Amino acid sequence: MLCAEYHQNDWPAAARPYLETRCLHKFYGGVHALKGVSLSIERERFYHLLGENGCGKSTLIKIISGAQPSSKGQLFVEGREMTGLDPIAALDAGIETVYQDLSLLPNLSVAENIGLSEQLVKHSGRLFHRLNHARMQETARLALEVVGLPTSRFFLSRQLETLPLASRQLVAIARAVASEAGLVIMDEPTTSLTKREVDNLITVIRRLQSKGAAVLFVTHKLDEAREIGGTGLVMRDGELVHECDVSDVTNAEIGYWMTGRQLEQGRYRDAQLHSTYSPLLKIKDLCLEEAYEKIDLSIGSGEILGITGLADSGRNELSLTLAGLAPAERGVVTLEGQTLDLSEPYCAIAAGIAYVPEDRLNEGLFLEKSISENITMAILERLRSRLGLVDRRRALQTAQKILEDLCIVAKDIHAPVSSLSGGNQQRVLIGRWLTTNPKLLILHGPTMGVDVGSKDIIYRFIQGLAEAGMGVLIVSDDLPELLQNCDRIVVMRNGCIYRTYEAESVNEETLYSAVVGAEAVPAYMEVEDHYDRY
Amino acid sequence: MTAIESGAINSSVEKRSLRNLWIWSAQHPAIFPLILIMLTCLTVGSLNPDFWQLANLFDILRASVVHGLFALGVLVVLASGGLDVSFTAIAAFVMYALTLFVVNVMPNLGILPIFSIAAIAGGGLGALNGMLVNCLRAPALIVTIGTQYILRGFLLTFVGTALFMNIPSSMSAFGKFSLITVTTESGLTVDLPLYFLVLVIAAAMTWWLLNNTLIGRAIFAVGRKPDIAERLGYRVKQVRVFVFAYAGMLAGVAGVLHVSSNRLANPFDLAGSELAVIAAVVLGGARITGGMGTVMGTMMGVVLITLVSNVLILVGIPSAWQTAILGAFILIAGLFFAQLDRLALK
Repeated sequence: MLCAEYHQNDWPAAARPYLETRCLHKFYGGVHALKGVSLSIERERFYHLLGENGCGKSTLIKIISGAQPSSKGQLFVEGREMTGLDPIAALDAGIETVYQDLSLLPNLSVAENIGLSEQLVKHSGRLFHRLNHARMQETARLALEVVGLPTSRFFLSRQLETLPLASRQLVAIARAVASEAGLVIMDEPTTSLTKREVDNLITVIRRLQSKGAAVLFVTHKLDEAREIGGTGLVMRDGELVHECDVSDVTNAEIGYWMTGRQLEQGRYRDAQLHSTYSPLLKIKDLCLEEAYEKIDLSIGSGEILGITGLADSGRNELSLTLAGLAPAERGVVTLEGQTLDLSEPYCAIAAGIAYVPEDRLNEGLFLEKSISENITMAILERLRSRLGLVDRRRALQTAQKILEDLCIVAKDIHAPVSSLSGGNQQRVLIGRWLTTNPKLLILHGPTMGVDVGSKDIIYRFIQGLAEAGMGVLIVSDDLPELLQNCDRIVVMRNGCIYRTYEAESVNEETLYSAVVGAEAVPAYMEVEDHYDRY
Repeated sequence: MTAIESGAINSSVEKRSLRNLWIWSAQHPAIFPLILIMLTCLTVGSLNPDFWQLANLFDILRASVVHGLFALGVLVVLASGGLDVSFTAIAAFVMYALTLFVVNVMPNLGILPIFSIAAIAGGGLGALNGMLVNCLRAPALIVTIGTQYILRGFLLTFVGTALFMNIPSSMSAFGKFSLITVTTESGLTVDLPLYFLVLVIAAAMTWWLLNNTLIGRAIFAVGRKPDIAERLGYRVKQVRVFVFAYAGMLAGVAGVLHVSSNRLANPFDLAGSELAVIAAVVLGGARITGGMGTVMGTMMGVVLITLVSNVLILVGIPSAWQTAILGAFILIAGLFFAQLDRLALK
């Protein structure tokens, strides 16, 4: 229906959109990933592509940027049909895509990262041509000026990977500037940036917009989208289901459009039982040089405790210590009255502590291994048959149970875990650690890069675990997440516990200023330094 | 706001001068083998003053030519993220088959056509490697191990196993032709053969290719992040075929040079030097994982390896020890470059 409408409605030349797609379809084998997406994008506007993991956002982006052809449908750039374009043609048409990995080449110089595309496009992708160094340097210099990075010879020739993450991000934008892009697509650009870096990024992007570019964000951060403003494009299940002005809608409305169901907005935690927790984990006077000092903390059975703070506040190291990954120099940790030896990860696991890391791709999952193998990885010892081999039947049953418990949507339990969407991957990882029947579950950023629907499932599940008597420790930047789920929230600053709040009686603003401290700006500077190591 | 931002980045850049040193050394890895070369020379020279002779320098340069050509090919392949161990087999095949062909069919063929045929044949065999890597989607190491055995087997089964000395006259003349001849005080004449120029030209060409052409930059791009490079529009498959063809071409030329300089064609020659060549390239700062490496570093690496294996004998170090010293150098290089990466990226 929608498609027919578009066909009739031919644009007058003046009001012609920069980019238009008509009824794009994409099939991957038998999977219908895009089901007729029609949208139009005009210059000088912001767009936010919203949707759950696996709703077809990335497929749409790949088609627009020429990384993959569509199976059916048309694509127009400035009124010209460009269906089935390849990356070079997309760049030539002015479509610049900054994927989550920034699409930068870490071993090439800053100047090359910005200026090579132009020459590649000039020779239509043919490689046997001379490189115009002078031209490349000049292009890079002009573009760097726009995004506010240094333009010295040293900086131009600097190898990209030696730059901090935030600067690399700006280099990626400089490339878009250099190619005089009409449309810049940014895939979750702010995921690992600090607030201040995000602000700077937005300033630069606004400058890009004022030069006539449309910017399409792919994002999970609704609040950020609202701050930037523009058109929200909500996708569900391969279809574009809703277009709206992002500043006019609430999270609940967008959540509804994304998932097709009403999401719970208030607190997940029902903290009636608060006083009845029996002590589970006790930390006394724990110190680790250059990370944290004098940490005193206790968690009860069935309690959910949140820990937050800036990246260098010591919260990461503290959770690593409890997981046996960064042994403390001084202090005692007891679990149910027993003093723990936390010198190695396996000691922590044996004692009943499970740690779900933040970076599921690099630290958590074995991406090429199957879903069932990933789930049972931590309990192979227990699945041993009499012959000392892994009992496959029991392993499969265990994995199957986890899939059901965590509502993981997987067609085939033997498929590699990389075939799942982000939200489902995260649930597989959590599921793995539940198989160890831990007494204490540490979740580090449990919903990083996970969509609203998956968040909802994960939160409900965490509450269920706590109800069953497990102690849960959530280490996270996501303050609403902590407020919705925890009994108490501990704020760490400069390696110490700054304050502990009752989650029920504190609001986000108070918590936020506690995290950054009164001296907000210097604190951020420290974080920037911290990010330098990337 | 951005002025402050860039100011902050500027000052933090300027402050970290030590880190800049690491970054600089990472970009100029030739420094490392150069230091080792100087240390080796100083040590050998102080133990045996006879070492400081032009004859030794010429010896080292002459002995570096064949390995140097191989190494340039390996550098290009390594930079693109691949690995090639078939180049010696390609060289042996081309040199033996071509020499046999020229001797029996057209004994008066000049040296230039011979080089051209060798380059084209080697390049073709190399391109085959690249195509196999592309269409089998197999690791380059496995593919080239396979083609190495096939080529060698084919050579020995169907072409011949006999060593022969009556090589074409143009080849032996080219091998003898001297570029520089010097008569020393003791009355000995030492000369640097003309074919040394082939290495110089090949090195200059490789340098120009890697730094001043789109394909050169594409090789490095593909070497580190093939998926991103593909997304940015670099033709990854084309790059792969090209690098293997280039390595094959240099191997073909090296094979002919080997025959010219030794004045005999032996199908069993050259086999087994693959690892030494790869080691030389890695000593020169190329990473086995791809995306890094310089021509200068590679040349220094080759000279270092030739130096250690040819000259240490002068100070009476037994050849078994030379191997051990070479091994130690390679270990130190591995350690150094790994550490450099860590320091530069910190």
